[in-house]
Amino acid sequence: MAGFGAAPAGNHNPNKSFEVIQPPSDSVSSLSFSPRTNHLVATSWDNQVRCWELTRNGASVTSVPKASMSHDQPVLCSAWKDDGTTVFSGGCDKQAKMWSLMSGGQPVTVAMHDAPIKEIAWIPEMNVLVTGSWDKTLKYWDTRQSNPVHTQQLPERCYALTVRHPLMVVGTADRNLVVFNLQNPQAEFKRITSPLKYQTRCVAAFPDQQGFLVGSIEGRVGVHHLDDSQISKNFTFKCHRDNNDIYSVNSLNFHPVYHTFATAGSDGAFNFWDKDSKQRLKAMSRCSQPIPCSAFNNDGTIYAYSVCYDWSKGAENHNPATAKTYIFLHSPQEAEVKAKPRVGTSNRK
Amino acid sequence: MPLKKELCRNFQRGSSIKNFIASPYFDLRWFSSCQYGERCKFLHPTQQQSRPNAFGFGMHSGSNQQQKANPFGFGVQSSSQPRPAADFASQHNQFKPFENKWTRFSPISNASATSSHHPDNQIQSGNHKCTDPESCKQLIVEDFEHERPSWTLTCYGHCKYAPCDISGDISYEELQSAAYDDAKRGLSLQSIVERERNALNFKLTEFENLLRGPYVAPLSSTASQSARLGFGANTSSLSAQNTGQSVASSFGVLHASSNAGGSSPYVPSNTASGSLSSSTLQQTASAFGPSYLPSGVSQQMLNPTNNNFNIVVGQKAFDDQQKNNVCQSGHESRDASVWLKEKWSPGEIPEEAPPDTFI
Repeated sequence: MAGFGAAPAGNHNPNKSFEVIQPPSDSVSSLSFSPRTNHLVATSWDNQVRCWELTRNGASVTSVPKASMSHDQPVLCSAWKDDGTTVFSGGCDKQAKMWSLMSGGQPVTVAMHDAPIKEIAWIPEMNVLVTGSWDKTLKYWDTRQSNPVHTQQLPERCYALTVRHPLMVVGTADRNLVVFNLQNPQAEFKRITSPLKYQTRCVAAFPDQQGFLVGSIEGRVGVHHLDDSQISKNFTFKCHRDNNDIYSVNSLNFHPVYHTFATAGSDGAFNFWDKDSKQRLKAMSRCSQPIPCSAFNNDGTIYAYSVCYDWSKGAENHNPATAKTYIFLHSPQEAEVKAKPRVGTSNRK
Repeated sequence: MPLKKELCRNFQRGSSIKNFIASPYFDLRWFSSCQYGERCKFLHPTQQQSRPNAFGFGMHSGSNQQQKANPFGFGVQSSSQPRPAADFASQHNQFKPFENKWTRFSPISNASATSSHHPDNQIQSGNHKCTDPESCKQLIVEDFEHERPSWTLTCYGHCKYAPCDISGDISYEELQSAAYDDAKRGLSLQSIVERERNALNFKLTEFENLLRGPYVAPLSSTASQSARLGFGANTSSLSAQNTGQSVASSFGVLHASSNAGGSSPYVPSNTASGSLSSSTLQQTASAFGPSYLPSGVSQQMLNPTNNNFNIVVGQKAFDDQQKNNVCQSGHESRDASVWLKEKWSPGEIPEEAPPDTFI
């Protein structure tokens, strides 16, 4: 009889990262930082959306819980408005809510789908919210209207989303990757099948919008350029593997300043990479539980990651009585996240 | 630089592309990029159809994606012996996180406990061309020997950028969401685990079938075809491939909406530990500010699919097409020049027989 296998034991904070106080009582599904300040939002399977204010004190980071908000069912995704005042969240209740942290008013439902909302993003250049759902659609919302501005059919359920205007990439089930030019959002710019062999887990658009990263469950990341003239720069690499065990890459995040990127996986590790020189800059120690999500703050001085169960080993390895959820904050050293130029060539973003 | 001559890509592309375009599986929507982008002097229609890329569909990577019907037939089992596990372990002697064979740098890695070892079989999978089902099969065998990820409920495609050989993805969150829904409905942890195991076994059977049976290109598989062609595909391809097992019905709940109100977190009944208490799961930290009550659903949100976007793209596309066909006045009067064309581009192929004057 098939099973998922046993969960590993070990240290939950081997990297001696700073711990966010009063973490969610169930696993964290998404982490997002305010684009303006060091406020961190976490959404959780305990139906809550929580916000902390983080403060850097020299080498350390402290956290203060600020506010929280409820959905009726587990929350899967979150996004901040560009002015840092409002948080959007969506989840299994098939709704997305807008929560104004400044005004202190009640959260308002701004989006609805026919199935859980897996991904959400705010697009400031268009002043719209985009939501991706397991109902195989992408919907664009003007938060003042109850009906979507546009509904975009996807080939399959939305699993991953990344936006760097005008580039948007959606990863769906069955390895579809749909690229959109947001200057013409109603048409697919390009649809490709993933360069990876297994289920897509996460995508991240390059800061220069020349392409995107795609991560899968098979411990592999694909680097894909959109322009045909840059085909030769496409490649894939393996990561988050432990001898024979192959773990999924759950999160891909570009450093906002150096444009290197971090991967986080179900093996409980996170690594920093430089795609231009094709190097791994730093491998961090493995935590005892998976890392389902992670995020950089707006200037790259804080990397937040959650250590908790991500269901990668099924229900039988979920033990709510003993499982703990952590959110850690890592202060990246320059050597970990700054690109190292190739010998003999200039450093380019 | 390769030491031996590689097959000429242009030569290969020419013949196979004609075959492919002629087949019913060709979808113009796949070719929606133009290398000139905004600078292009030709019209880029705003609908999903646009000019085919000059390079055909080999535009994504060095490896050619040949999909022509295989004249060689199928059914020859791979004769290679799978490597025993002991040999496999001894291959992990070189740290090489990047697959690209052109990488010139060894990674700047510390001697951390997480250093991972990767078998050096990237070259074959990186340059795989789907010209020979035997080589496809070989690759599949190797993948399943050495590259089986921990998560089994996944689709699989042996070839980069090519359609799935096995479709039917289930993500962590979907499985977890289904488990939480079941728990809310009162199902025991044991039955949830059972359901998940059934799904696992079903998937493993699919993988086994792909491994054991002769390799059949994805084009002839209806399940992956429906997944590829997108809209209207089953929400769960597992149910599309219902073999009579109960798993198909149990996965119906995966996408069923849960009407249970309230915010009770995951609390499966009859847990063995017995120490599960809802109070610990519903603990709200007192230091958090006022926790906002979820607002009631606005009455206006009852019709979410109403599209009130001003520009109707479909109409514009139709107008463009008509301009190309110089056909403005109704369906029966088609511009006669269409019949004189040597070659029809997709979209302007007339559906009716040519008038007698052209025969």
